[in-house]
Amino acid sequence: MPNTLVDGRLNRRSLLAGGGATFLGMSVRGLLAGQGKDHAAQAEHVILFWNGGGMSHIDTWDPKPGRPTGGEFDAISTNADGVRISEIFPQLATQMKHCALVRSIAGTQGDHGRATHQLQTSYLPFPNLVYPGIGSVVAHELPNLGDLPAYISISGQAPRAGYLGQKCEAYFVPGPGDKDPYLAFPEGIAEFRGNKRLEVLAKFNKRFNGNSTDERLKATQTSIDEAVDLMRSPALEAFEFKNVKPETLARYGNNPFGRGALLAKRLVEKGVRFVQINRGGYDTHQQNFPAMRDHGEIMDPALASLVSDLAESGLLKKTLVIMLSEFGRTPKINKDSGRDHWASVFSCFLAGGGIRGGTVIGSSDEDGAMPADRPVQVPEIHASICHALGINPNKEVMTPLSRPMKLVDNGAPVMELFA
Amino acid sequence: MTRALCTAGVLCFLGAFAATTGAGEHDLDRLIAEAHQPGADGALQPMPVVGDAVFLRRVYVDLIGRIPTADEVREFGTWPAGDRRAKLIDQLLQDERFADRWTIFYSDMLRLRSQAAGGAALIAYVHEALKNGLPYDEMCRRLIYSNGKAGKVPEAGFILGDDADPLAMASITSQVFLGVRIGCAQCHDHPFDVWTRRDFYDLAAFFGKTRRFESQLTRVIYATETSQTSILWPPEGAPGSDARKPLEPRFPFPGTTGDADPEFVKRREALRAERQTALAAADTGPTLDDLLDSSSEKVAKATTGELIKEQATAEAKSEIRKIDVQKGLYQPSELREQLAVAVTDPRNLYFSRALVNRVWKTLVGRGFVEPVDDFRQDNAAALPAALDYLAGEFVACDYDLRSLVRLIVNSEAYQRGHAPADSSEAVRVEMETNLLATPVRRMQSEALYDSIVTAGHLFEPKHSPGRNVKTIRTTMLVPVKGGGEGTAIRPNDLAKGKGAAMPAMALGAGGDPAEGAGYALEAAIELDFTALLKDQGDDEVEIDEMRAMSQEELEAQRMMQMRMARSSLNYEEQVLERQVDDNPVFSTAMRMQSPAPEGHFLRVFGQPNRSDLGDLRDDAASMRQALMMLNGRVTHEASRVGDLEPVHALLVGRSANLDEAIQLVYLEILTRAPSKEELTDAKEILNSSPNPTDGMADLRWILLNCNEFRFLP
Repeated sequence: MPNTLVDGRLNRRSLLAGGGATFLGMSVRGLLAGQGKDHAAQAEHVILFWNGGGMSHIDTWDPKPGRPTGGEFDAISTNADGVRISEIFPQLATQMKHCALVRSIAGTQGDHGRATHQLQTSYLPFPNLVYPGIGSVVAHELPNLGDLPAYISISGQAPRAGYLGQKCEAYFVPGPGDKDPYLAFPEGIAEFRGNKRLEVLAKFNKRFNGNSTDERLKATQTSIDEAVDLMRSPALEAFEFKNVKPETLARYGNNPFGRGALLAKRLVEKGVRFVQINRGGYDTHQQNFPAMRDHGEIMDPALASLVSDLAESGLLKKTLVIMLSEFGRTPKINKDSGRDHWASVFSCFLAGGGIRGGTVIGSSDEDGAMPADRPVQVPEIHASICHALGINPNKEVMTPLSRPMKLVDNGAPVMELFA
Repeated sequence: MTRALCTAGVLCFLGAFAATTGAGEHDLDRLIAEAHQPGADGALQPMPVVGDAVFLRRVYVDLIGRIPTADEVREFGTWPAGDRRAKLIDQLLQDERFADRWTIFYSDMLRLRSQAAGGAALIAYVHEALKNGLPYDEMCRRLIYSNGKAGKVPEAGFILGDDADPLAMASITSQVFLGVRIGCAQCHDHPFDVWTRRDFYDLAAFFGKTRRFESQLTRVIYATETSQTSILWPPEGAPGSDARKPLEPRFPFPGTTGDADPEFVKRREALRAERQTALAAADTGPTLDDLLDSSSEKVAKATTGELIKEQATAEAKSEIRKIDVQKGLYQPSELREQLAVAVTDPRNLYFSRALVNRVWKTLVGRGFVEPVDDFRQDNAAALPAALDYLAGEFVACDYDLRSLVRLIVNSEAYQRGHAPADSSEAVRVEMETNLLATPVRRMQSEALYDSIVTAGHLFEPKHSPGRNVKTIRTTMLVPVKGGGEGTAIRPNDLAKGKGAAMPAMALGAGGDPAEGAGYALEAAIELDFTALLKDQGDDEVEIDEMRAMSQEELEAQRMMQMRMARSSLNYEEQVLERQVDDNPVFSTAMRMQSPAPEGHFLRVFGQPNRSDLGDLRDDAASMRQALMMLNGRVTHEASRVGDLEPVHALLVGRSANLDEAIQLVYLEILTRAPSKEELTDAKEILNSSPNPTDGMADLRWILLNCNEFRFLP
């Protein structure tokens, strides 16, 4: 294989050129390997909504109306046969034929830190290893498409790349729609002047590096070249909301979450492999119901618009949308009208990327307290993400200290999710 | 003498004395020379000691975390050449910034997090310990055994940082203080070493009776002792685990010397005895101020009965009553006290070697043992004699970090040049491993930040007031006439939830215009170490609350605003303009809340998250680093020429002299004079620019961005 694949950076142009030149001479397996894939798979991108705090499963994806602990919300029917979700998602209900739910995640961690770690990496935290987030795994395994970074995190945190290395770290963007000052020369430095500076800088660095064999010196200049490529990329227009129609923005919701979903769609269109959108406020120990109603008002239009726009453009087939949170919340409603942490069973939402629309995997018991059917372990979710993208979740990579680690902590994909 | 003349003089000195050395005969260098057998076939020759200019840059960055200023270089040039390196080292060891810079060292090693329960106070405590020269072993003992309330007993922050979890604390104690990764034996006998699973659990048993409590009502968090241990043997799931029994703690690390006290222990005893005598002569007992000043000290005294001896006024009596209540709660753990004594035993070479190895790595670039916290049988130290010599000396000076650093930086091993640039990788590594050459090191993130600020004169305003007046446009929601109350003007920042981009740092409410422009990833929010250590009665210093909000809080605030916006349609968006004099001043990254938020300058340049054990600093290059340096605010502001800077007078006006201006900025940024070729290049940059100040900004930007700036010579 061409060397460009070794470090996982291959832009679309060279991918197309390389693929075109060798297509007829290669086996299917070789062709898949050329795309960084282990098996044929539909998905090329992932949009992960990370809902920090532990989102109530009962008030969203797994409603229990009529039960004493069912809470204030009704279940509504959707355009997926027999699938009912909470009334806080009226618009999404019209898109559920594209979507799937897993209602039987059997978590084990009730602490925010540990559960966040597991849901974002598939591993439990353990001393001496920094485990990569699933976004870094994707950035590591699949070649870049286009000019933008492979893994972008919107509005806040993202797990680290750990033993997969700096190249697989998330690129952080500020609030969606806000200007990212780091992608252009500083204020007052015109294009011509900035380019001149870069030219002289390259000359100075070359003189300083001389014929040194120290790779780190060269790596700095490479990182500058990559940065400049990004600064000059036409793909950056994805970040600009200037030309977005006000109606479109209104449809998603002109708030960080809605703008985040819209930005995610625009980034995926430019080839970004993995987009994570963060939102907090789900730790509803008090006043769970008004809080979840507010969350619904924000999430519903954004998710529904995203799924329907992706479906319309045909990109949904290639884009796995998934919403995760640390855990669910207690069926029991506490004295502050809140729900507390509950890991024994909770749900997640998926759409696109080759999953079967309208599917519901597993179920919880009548109160949403324990898995009733087809318990799904947390790493099975990450294995499913890998499977959708054609990545073998059991592939081993070496840590810098030569310890072999699987991409995912021993999970098998939930095959029923896939068509 | 004019400044211009000064500059010329300095450059002269840098050229003329380029080869003077400050290092004399040094036991460490003798050991290194002995280990490296000269005369062996093809033996590599040690690199010579670096010139003064290189030495200055290196030692400033290593000891106080920033490059030297032009004035400092000039002053050094006026000292007699003979022992000026040693003199400078002594001076830097006493610099206020020494404690700042080495707080970063301890914070990395001890995994201190200002956002953790009691974390900010613990960082302030470590800073104080460094400032006052508290012996390292004493500091470690207090961290290992202290109990108490987060923030109020700063040392207790160490165990609270990991929720007082005995298994985690066993791994941490062993790896952090002793350099042994016994954590691998938590699940199975260590695959590459002698440690068994039983050893691990025996060690964990020292923490078995400690519990972390959190009051549901007041959210106060504290660590205290209970009577029952939580550590049982065999571990859960192991054969025989149906009949698990409480485990008695046992220190699994063998004594290292066996026979009589080694001479370095005797020297330490002598030093301590001498100090004790001097102290007793000067002792007048604590004053009332002392008594009321530091609660943790009081509690420590109360638990040892010392406080009773002290004269107490009515005020102090009431203090003591409070302390009595706290006494039971806060008393140090007996088991962990035993552990602390065993860990810090001067004969325990694991303890002294582990610290020496980390300090060596920090100063020289490569540990005797790598990774620095992985001492084991099949991972032998390079030059064990040199490591043991330093470990012995560290004990003998009563675990004084300054003495250890002084010993190292005075050695030729520290002051050697890098391997020749064209050496092959193999030769370079061999020379570096044998201490014949020093590895090229990138400045660590905090030093890089502070060095840019230093070189760019950004610690103080450098523009005259009024020179940078800018119009800032902010979108606000304002009440429309006739509706709502006129007071409810809210920055749209929050309404739009911009703050959520920075989970750990809410954006300033319009204070610094740059933060509004999205540059929060370069802001430095300083911790007030003094305030953090002050006893504030029952009101804790909540640094976290001062400027940082959790994502949940931001969300709640945002939601409330949305609800308000919904409840009334009488608001409209308006673009408000205000005039701001954008004259930015940056504070040091050394005292910033740490670790910095994800994506912050310091994190991007390798500050570890300090949560994962064994997460060491990474100096790999990345695109994000490049974007931050090319387009970031610190570099940009450092490059711009301010009229209050020395270089300004050399660029405009009657005494303008471009050659000298260029020489000055080379000195300020790279601590050296430009070569002839560089001078020509620089003049070309200045002359091709519409005006010399813009040209100088370009030159400075280039110098700050080039490899030579970030990699230490």
